[in-house]
Amino acid sequence: MTRCLAVALAGVCLTGIATAAELEPPPEAVDVADVVKRAEAAMRGDRTYCKCEMTVSSPRLASDRRVVFESWNDGPGKRSFIRIHEPAKDSGSGFLKRHPNLWMYVPRVERTIRVPPSMMLQSWMGSDFTNDDLVRESSEVADYDHVLLGVDPGSDKSGGRRSYVVEYRPHEDAPVVWGRIVAWIDAERGAPLFQEFYDEEGEKIREMRFSEVREVDGRHVPHRWSLTPLDKPGHQTVVAVDEMRYDLEIDESVFTTRNLKRGRPR
Amino acid sequence: MSLEQRLAWRNVWRNRRRTGLCVAATVFAVFLVVLSVAMADGTHEKMIEDGVRMQSGHVTVTGVGYLDDRTLERFVVLSPELESRLDDEPSVLGWTPRLASFALLSEDTSSQGCAILGVDPETEGRVSTLPERVAEGRFLAPGGSRELVLGARLADSLGAQIGDEILVYGVAYSLEMAYELYTLVGTLKLPNPGLERNLALIDLADAQEFYVYGDRLSEIAVRLESARDVVAVRELLGAGLSGIEVHSWDQLMPELEQFVVLDDAGMYVVLMILVVVVGFGILNTILMAVLERTRELGMMMALGLRPAAVFRVVYWESIFVAGVGLVVGLALAIPAVVYFVANPIPLAGESMSGMAELVGMEPLVTFELAPLNPVVSAGTIFAVGLLAAFYPALRASRGRPVDALRSL
Repeated sequence: MTRCLAVALAGVCLTGIATAAELEPPPEAVDVADVVKRAEAAMRGDRTYCKCEMTVSSPRLASDRRVVFESWNDGPGKRSFIRIHEPAKDSGSGFLKRHPNLWMYVPRVERTIRVPPSMMLQSWMGSDFTNDDLVRESSEVADYDHVLLGVDPGSDKSGGRRSYVVEYRPHEDAPVVWGRIVAWIDAERGAPLFQEFYDEEGEKIREMRFSEVREVDGRHVPHRWSLTPLDKPGHQTVVAVDEMRYDLEIDESVFTTRNLKRGRPR
Repeated sequence: MSLEQRLAWRNVWRNRRRTGLCVAATVFAVFLVVLSVAMADGTHEKMIEDGVRMQSGHVTVTGVGYLDDRTLERFVVLSPELESRLDDEPSVLGWTPRLASFALLSEDTSSQGCAILGVDPETEGRVSTLPERVAEGRFLAPGGSRELVLGARLADSLGAQIGDEILVYGVAYSLEMAYELYTLVGTLKLPNPGLERNLALIDLADAQEFYVYGDRLSEIAVRLESARDVVAVRELLGAGLSGIEVHSWDQLMPELEQFVVLDDAGMYVVLMILVVVVGFGILNTILMAVLERTRELGMMMALGLRPAAVFRVVYWESIFVAGVGLVVGLALAIPAVVYFVANPIPLAGESMSGMAELVGMEPLVTFELAPLNPVVSAGTIFAVGLLAAFYPALRASRGRPVDALRSL
């Protein structure tokens, strides 16, 4: 028992040293708040639209599950609207978020459901994302303290790119389910590349890899997000962004329950 | 009777009032201990029985790892071999297959997450009492389709009436969105309010279709003749079958098992204190009897009675006092327990029944006469009586005749 513990401890220490050794000390000229702001701007913006394809892999499934959806967002985390197009069976389903509520529309029985808080941590559309991921209004800038851990000169996690490694520590009263997040952020282009999510006990729960960074409206935006839950072996959810637009004019009527029932927005 | 015993018996009755009081204390202790233990045994047995009949069954067959991770991933399939084992085992009173998962219920503007249990209406009653707990409407009909039964509190908070169509939404095993309208046919009044607020029942076949689950199951609940058969049946069902785990009720309801252990411990502490007090009572009586006979004992020793014999005389006195107390105590306690076993005490009053409801049981105090109970209770009190007599007896036998004769 003691021996096992010693070995485990040594393992932990070694990994600690190994990760630390890969990082260069943080350059003094870098403002961590700036880095974090740029990373968030790449993922969220005022009045955005995107069309995405989500692929869910699971040991349960013989073939991956494909979900195609469009999403409209207004003000980071404030209001959003999602319309499902594929699979055909769920086509026309929709989700409306108006903080702090989430509604869901299922066309076959023509009903709108308000998703109660107790269901927030349930899977969204069978993916590894939760409903909470969808409606979370927490901001990676405002709700966390940020510590620049160092510079990764280009590891597997950052996809070979030079990146800042930043630890996000949630404020005590922040509406956040994580204990901490460690993020790799592209040093040159500002896009997030990799994130590790830890729970309050310090255990790593999931990893998110951002890749295929392309320029959209002057921002470097990752077009492929791969989420791997570490507590569920064999599961993975990949979101591939087909189209992304920023700073649009979005009609107020989009973010209404009436729009949900329309089957197609506008 | 030997001379020593005769001497002791006579001495016991020389001061009838004192002896009487001491016997009464012993009687009281025996009566109280036997009755308390019987009540605790009965209550615990009933809690276990209620828990078992509420849901889990004495024994539950699940897929591997289900207890730690109650997801659709952990399923069990009813193999012909398992089925024949269940049917052939005489101590199995009944078994029923179930599918358990989560869902979101929605009615008009209100919605609520809850536990969904897919049950077979025909066999569910052989294991649990769920079908008997209908408050309004009726239970699921065998072969009925798209019917739903809710805990009464859940129906209330949804604002649902019998006959309403309620939307059930969940994520299927195939990770598709699963949703369907079900007709509310009944509500259940459950002893556990938490469960009543959180439980929805649909037909097993409906549930398997809803969750795209094929012939998979979450669990097979088994009810046995008695909790005593649990270990044997557990081994029998599990032997040589892969992909299944067999759990006993104490694994399924560890909080209940812990409560029983804790409750027992608390009771034993109180009873121990009672027994110790009675022990001091006996000590006091015998010591007084010895002290007031200092002269007499000295005389006996002067006449040639050896100290060991004096010790034995005093000890016999204590044995007689404790023994009479035990016999009378048991003679009162056992009929009382037998009476209460047949006539459980209903908890009257709002607060008491409310409290019982809170822990999820019927407001009824039941008794159970385990054969060990009177034996162990009486034995303990007797042993304490013997222990208490040690000091007075020692004192009596150590006295020097010369000193004793001089005292009053």
